[in-house]
Amino acid sequence: MEGIWSRVVWEPLRQLGEQAVASFSSLLGMLILVLLGLVVGWLAKQIVYGVLRALRFDRLCDRIGVGMVVERTGLARSCSNLAGEIVRGLIVLTALLAGLNALGTPLTRNLVERTFLFLPHLLAAVLILIVGVLVSRFLGRSVLIAAVNENLPSARLLAGLTRFFVMVVTVVAALDELGISRTTIIVTFAITFGGLVTAAAIAFGLGARDLAKDLLLSQFRPKAPVDAKDTMHHL
Amino acid sequence: MAEAILTEQIEQTVEGLGPLELVVGIPSYNNVSTIGQVVKAAQAGLASYFGNRKALIVNPDADSNDGTPEAVEGARTEGNALLRVKYLLEPVHRLTTPYHGLPGKGSAFRTLFQIVEATQARALAVVEADLSSVTPEWFKSLLDPILSLDFDYVAPYYQRHKYDGTMTNSIVYPLLRGLYGRRVRQPIGGEFGISGRLASHFLKDQMWNSDVARFGIDIWMTTTAIADNFKVCQSHLGAKVHEAEEQGLDLSDVLVQVVGSLFSLMETHDTAWRNVLGSLPVPLLGSPFGITPEPASINLQRALASFQQGVRDLLPVYEQVFSPKQLKILQSCAAQAPDQFSLDDELWVSLIYDLALAYHRRVMDREHLLKSLAPLYLGWVASFVRQTDTAPDALAERRIERLCLVYEQLKPYLISQWPLASREKR
Repeated sequence: MEGIWSRVVWEPLRQLGEQAVASFSSLLGMLILVLLGLVVGWLAKQIVYGVLRALRFDRLCDRIGVGMVVERTGLARSCSNLAGEIVRGLIVLTALLAGLNALGTPLTRNLVERTFLFLPHLLAAVLILIVGVLVSRFLGRSVLIAAVNENLPSARLLAGLTRFFVMVVTVVAALDELGISRTTIIVTFAITFGGLVTAAAIAFGLGARDLAKDLLLSQFRPKAPVDAKDTMHHL
Repeated sequence: MAEAILTEQIEQTVEGLGPLELVVGIPSYNNVSTIGQVVKAAQAGLASYFGNRKALIVNPDADSNDGTPEAVEGARTEGNALLRVKYLLEPVHRLTTPYHGLPGKGSAFRTLFQIVEATQARALAVVEADLSSVTPEWFKSLLDPILSLDFDYVAPYYQRHKYDGTMTNSIVYPLLRGLYGRRVRQPIGGEFGISGRLASHFLKDQMWNSDVARFGIDIWMTTTAIADNFKVCQSHLGAKVHEAEEQGLDLSDVLVQVVGSLFSLMETHDTAWRNVLGSLPVPLLGSPFGITPEPASINLQRALASFQQGVRDLLPVYEQVFSPKQLKILQSCAAQAPDQFSLDDELWVSLIYDLALAYHRRVMDREHLLKSLAPLYLGWVASFVRQTDTAPDALAERRIERLCLVYEQLKPYLISQWPLASREKR
């Protein structure tokens, strides 16, 4: 009678207790790892921020145009601050994943594995976006200055289009890196852009026929001879 | 000890000549139509004024393919030592066109300075090969101050029309004068005379492989001679007539090369110019001679339109360089009627100083920064033409003098901002 009592009641209760203790210790471990991640992340952020400020990283970013992008988008107070936040985020994310892994369930293990596999692609996509922003700004400014110095009336439009196309290519490349179907993006872009151009062309052609004629004539008709030729030397 | 760039053959030839007193350099690149006349003028000048001194004419050539070497040989006369050398051209020299049209001009000058050093010559005169106005008197004007008066650097002083050399008048001369305190009216003339000791001093510099050597060698020589306290003078050469000038280069490219070199040298010599206030005259030797300069014309309407478009469209660029107050004044200038248009000297000088500071701080790509100056420069030109349209050359020169004084008056602003340029903004 006692054996039956022990096998039917006490043994399951003991096993339940052991499982509860094991789960609790896993949860506790996860909690400790996350807390540790938060503390280490905060410390790392302060160190990175301080070191980058000392190295005048913000000035470098201002020079290459990243500083203005960061300020305008409101991502952070400064590039040093953004770098610190990125380092903190990565440490906290790593701690969270380590904590989830400590739970030891198939679901969490799978999640951790997938996240670690995705992370390099995410970083590459972010890098592509940063480079794209820089290139678009540089090329946009090059086109703007060259067009103004050539006295082209639509200098700002040309510069804007240059920045736009570089950014489109950049976004497509970044999304492709993230595994989002490239073909779908290109087709979507082509349909949207083609539609916009067609709509604009129809609207322009029907609504402003005379203006269109004048504009094209001013662009392509040979210019009237200049009244006076420069014969000065600059130097 | 300067790096040796002379070939063994040239070294042997130079050694064979023994010690010399004078060297005349005529660097060339495809100047078949004019170089013969320049060589003849050099030979005549040496014979007429320095007949008793041992001299050598050197023609460093950048691999001309139009018959220039043959034209030099054709102009050779008996009793004159003439040496033709091919100087080394780097690939970059073939890819970029300098404003003066002579690829690798720095290498040509370096070759000449090494020949001067190797022959222990007392003086070197250099003239451009594309001139049609050069006379034998030019060589007397360039060499005599060194031999007779012990000067180290003889800058040319040309007779020019009031609208000839607008970039020299608005930026190069006033800025160099304001910075270094010496009034060298034609700091990038192309012709010059230097002493043997200054040639050796130039050779010791480390800048020979830099952009300054490629594009701003004339500015560099004048700046170095003044900043390093060599004895500088100017010598009348009359009018200067080129076969072709600035080689069809875009204005913005000329600005990149010339103003970029000036700004770059401001960084090199900041200890020399920061303690200088005001300016001193530089002796001007000789008297005007030769032909009168051809009048130069400027299309005022086009220059003004470029300025107006620049102020309108380049605002995002200017916002990174100039203060809101400056931008507001620029916009009100751009809105003026053409017959009322005027760009204040104070505004112009403050724009140039702020550009120099922005260049030093690297607020953006330096080429972009310098190219964005083109519409503003044309605005200054338009303003200058409007103000001096009916004025004689002498009155226009007084107008330039007034501008120079503003450069000098506003220099404390540049000095006060320059140290901040190397400090962290936040």
